[in-house]
Amino acid sequence: MSGDSHDRKAKDRLASRRELLGVFGPAALAMVGLGGVGTLLHGRAGRHRPPSAAIAPPPRDWRIETDRPGRVAVAGASGPRLNVRRAVAALGGMGAFVRAGERVLIKPNCAWDRTPEQAANTDPEVVAELVRLCLAAGAASVVVADNTCHDPDRTFARSGIAAAARAAGASVAHQRTAGTVRMALGGTRLGPWQVLRPVAEADRVINVPVVKQHSLTRATLGMKNWFGVVVGNRSSLHQRAPQVCAELGAAFRPTLTVVDATRVLARGGPTGGSLDLVSSPDLVAIATDPVAADAWGGSLLELDRHQLQHLAIAERLGLGTADWRSLLVQV
Amino acid sequence: MSPVKIRARHVRIASQGLFLVVFALLFVGLAVSLVPGALASALLALDPTAAVGTALADWTISGWTWAGLAVLAVTALLGRVFCGWICPLGTLQHLTSWIAGPERRKRPKINRYRPWFATKYVFLAVLLTWAVLGADHLGWLGPIPLLHRAAAGGLRPLWHGGLAPGGWLSFSLLLAVLLASAWMPRFFCRALCPLGALLGVTARLAPFRIRRGEAECSGCTLCVIPCQGADEPLGAHRVSECHVCLNCLPVCREASLRYGLPGAQQAPATPALDVGRRRFFLGVVGAAAIAPVLRAAGGGGGSRAHDAIRPPGALDEEAFLARCVTCGACVASCPTGVIISDLGRTGVEGLFTPVLDTRRGWCEPSCIRCGQVCPTGAIATLEPAAKQAIGGPAKVTVGTAFLDRGRCLPWAMDTPCIVCEEMCPTSPKAVWLEDTEVVGRNGAPVVVQKPHVQPEMCTGCGLCENRCPVGERAAIRVSSVGESRDPRNQMLQRRAH
Repeated sequence: MSGDSHDRKAKDRLASRRELLGVFGPAALAMVGLGGVGTLLHGRAGRHRPPSAAIAPPPRDWRIETDRPGRVAVAGASGPRLNVRRAVAALGGMGAFVRAGERVLIKPNCAWDRTPEQAANTDPEVVAELVRLCLAAGAASVVVADNTCHDPDRTFARSGIAAAARAAGASVAHQRTAGTVRMALGGTRLGPWQVLRPVAEADRVINVPVVKQHSLTRATLGMKNWFGVVVGNRSSLHQRAPQVCAELGAAFRPTLTVVDATRVLARGGPTGGSLDLVSSPDLVAIATDPVAADAWGGSLLELDRHQLQHLAIAERLGLGTADWRSLLVQV
Repeated sequence: MSPVKIRARHVRIASQGLFLVVFALLFVGLAVSLVPGALASALLALDPTAAVGTALADWTISGWTWAGLAVLAVTALLGRVFCGWICPLGTLQHLTSWIAGPERRKRPKINRYRPWFATKYVFLAVLLTWAVLGADHLGWLGPIPLLHRAAAGGLRPLWHGGLAPGGWLSFSLLLAVLLASAWMPRFFCRALCPLGALLGVTARLAPFRIRRGEAECSGCTLCVIPCQGADEPLGAHRVSECHVCLNCLPVCREASLRYGLPGAQQAPATPALDVGRRRFFLGVVGAAAIAPVLRAAGGGGGSRAHDAIRPPGALDEEAFLARCVTCGACVASCPTGVIISDLGRTGVEGLFTPVLDTRRGWCEPSCIRCGQVCPTGAIATLEPAAKQAIGGPAKVTVGTAFLDRGRCLPWAMDTPCIVCEEMCPTSPKAVWLEDTEVVGRNGAPVVVQKPHVQPEMCTGCGLCENRCPVGERAAIRVSSVGESRDPRNQMLQRRAH
C-alpha cells in the first residue's frame, strides 16, 4: 500500500481491513468465479452434441377409422370441385373425418414453379374444395403446407394453390415460413427428421397427391408426397425409394388420402412442362386406406403392384391393401 | 442568423432522412420481392456514375440511367446537392460522424481542406479511362452501388441465401467507409468518391453556391467547424468540394455567408482543383496501361472460368462488363439466392459482378427478376418463356450441366439415385436415365438408372447441382459453356439458320 494519492506517511502503517479487502477482494472474486465456471463446464459434453433420437416424438396418428377396412370413393366427369364433393359425400361427408375445433392440415403436391395446366402440382380447385369442406365441418383452422422443390413463394403463387386456398379460408405455410419440429419417423431408413411445424401440430391431415410419372418409383403418389413434409437433405431419400416411401407412409398416417387425377402427367414427371405430356381424366379418388389410394393412382398410369414396389412393402408394414377395387364404395 | 437560412438546413436534414428511408425501403422491397423491378432500377440509377460509365464504356445511356444525367444537370446549377441532400451513403457517414460526437466531428482542423482530397479526381480519371477502354468499374466506388451491394451481399444473407466472399468484402468496404467517417467527417466523400469528383468538376459551373461578403467577414473561421465538405467557405471557397449542407450559414456571426447567385461584388475566381497536370496525366496513362492486365485476368471468351455463370439475360461478356455497375440489385432480388457478388471467378475485371453459385441456389424457371431490376440493362429483361425449355430448347441458357461420373452414385457406386433427373425442369428433361444392370461387389445384379445430359435441352439452371445428394462438390455441375449470350463459348455445332 503505497497510497500515493493520499500522500500520507503511510509507509509504516499496517493496511486497514478495508484497504486489504479493496485490494484482494476483486482478485479473490475473480478466482472464485473462474474456478466456478471451470468446475461447472469441465468435462461437459458441449453444446454441439449430436441430436438424440430419444427426445423426438413420432408424428401423431391422424386416422379416424383404424379398426375397419378402408374405403375408396372415386368420382369423375364433373370437374374438380364437384368430384371432391361427391367423393367426400360417398364416404359420409367431411363431418365424419373432421370434428369441430380441430386443426386440419392439407398437404397438396405443391413442389414446382408450374401452372395448373402443366399438371405438376395438385389442382388448386381440389385443394380449395377440401378447405371449404373442412371449414364447413367445423375445423378451427386449415393450413395448406408443402416443402416445395422450387422457390416456395413462386411455386405457391404459380400453382394457383396459395390464392385458391386463401380464398377458401385456409392459411398457407412452406419451408421458408413455417419452421420445423424434430420428429422420430422410425423405420429402417428414416430415423429423426425435421418436419414442417404445422404438420406436427395438426389434429387431422389430408394428403392430396397428384398422379404423375416418376422415374424412380414409376409414379409419385400419396406416400411419395410425404417427401414434402420433411425438411433437410431430401435428395438422399431417393436411394431406396420404395422402402423410404412405404416407411414414410408408416410414419405419417393421414385421415384421408385424396388422389387428384383431374390432370395426369403420364410421362415427363414429376416436373412436366409441355402440355403435350398432360392428359385429363377428370377423376378424384378419396381413400381412408393410403395403400389403396396409391394403387388406384398407379392404375391410371397402368402400373400394377409389381411395378409400384412400395405397395407390397406398405402392405407388409400393415398400412392397408393394394386391392383398391375391393374397397370401392358407391358414389 | 436569419430564421429562413436555419430552415434551409433543416430541410436538408429532412431530405437526407427521406432518401435514406426510401433507399432502405427499396432494399427491403427488392429483397422480399415487393418493389417492381423498374422502380428499383430507377432509384439505383440516380447515381450518375451509372450513366457516365455506360455511356463511355458501351456508348449507350441504358434504361433509367438518364436519371443520373438529370442529377448532373442539377449539379451544374446548384452544386453538389446530391452529396449533401440525397446520397444515402453520404447520409450514413453524416450519421456516423454525428454519433462519434461533437469532439470528433468539430475538431478545429478536421474540417479544413487538405490537398490530398484531390485523390478522388485521380480515381475518377482512372475509372473514366477504364470506362473509355470498355471496362466500367465506376460502380466499385460509386456510392449507391457501393451501399446497395453491401446491403445485398452483407445484410440479406441474414435472412436469405448465405454470405459469399464477394458480399463479405462489399460489406467490409462499407464498414471501412463508415469507420473512416467517424475519424473524419465524410472522409470517403472528400477524398475517395469518384461521384464526388464528377459532381465536383460539374459544380464548378454552378451559379448557385456559397457566397461570402468580404466586407462583413471577420475571418473568425467559425464556418469551418461544422463544414461537411471541407471546402473552406471563409477563404477561397472550393465549390467543387462543397456539399451544400448549409451548416456554415447559421454559424456566421457577421451573416456574411449566403447561398445564392453572385451579388453586386465581383465573384472570386473558383480555385483550381489540386490535381495538377502531372498527376492527372499519370493517372490516365497508368490506368490505360493497367487496363489490358485487368482484362487478361478476367472475363472474355478465351479466358473465362468454367464457373463464371452469368444471370439469364446477361449481355455478352464485353457488353456485360461495359454496363454492370455492380450495384447488387440482382443479388438482392434473386428469390433463390443463387446470384452472388463475384470475388475471384471472373478475375479482377469481374470483381463484384453477379455470378451464379448453384450450390447456394438455382435459377428459378419462371423468374426474370434479375433482368427487371438491373438499372443499366447489363441483364436484359426476358420473357419468362425464353429461359424455360418447354417443348424444345430454350432461347436463353446460362450454361450446361455436366455429369461427374466418378462421383455420381449410379455411375460410380451402383447406388440408385435419380434426383438430377427428377429435378430437371425442362420438358423433355435434359437429364435422362439409362436403365442398366450392373453386377455389384457381392456378385448380385443391381439395376441402376444412370443419368445422362442432353446438352441441347439444358438451360444451366443448376437445380440438379443444387439438389445432388453428393455433398460439397456435386456429381453434376453447371459450366458456363453453352450459354446463349456468347457464340464463342459453345461446344455443340448449331444448326445453320
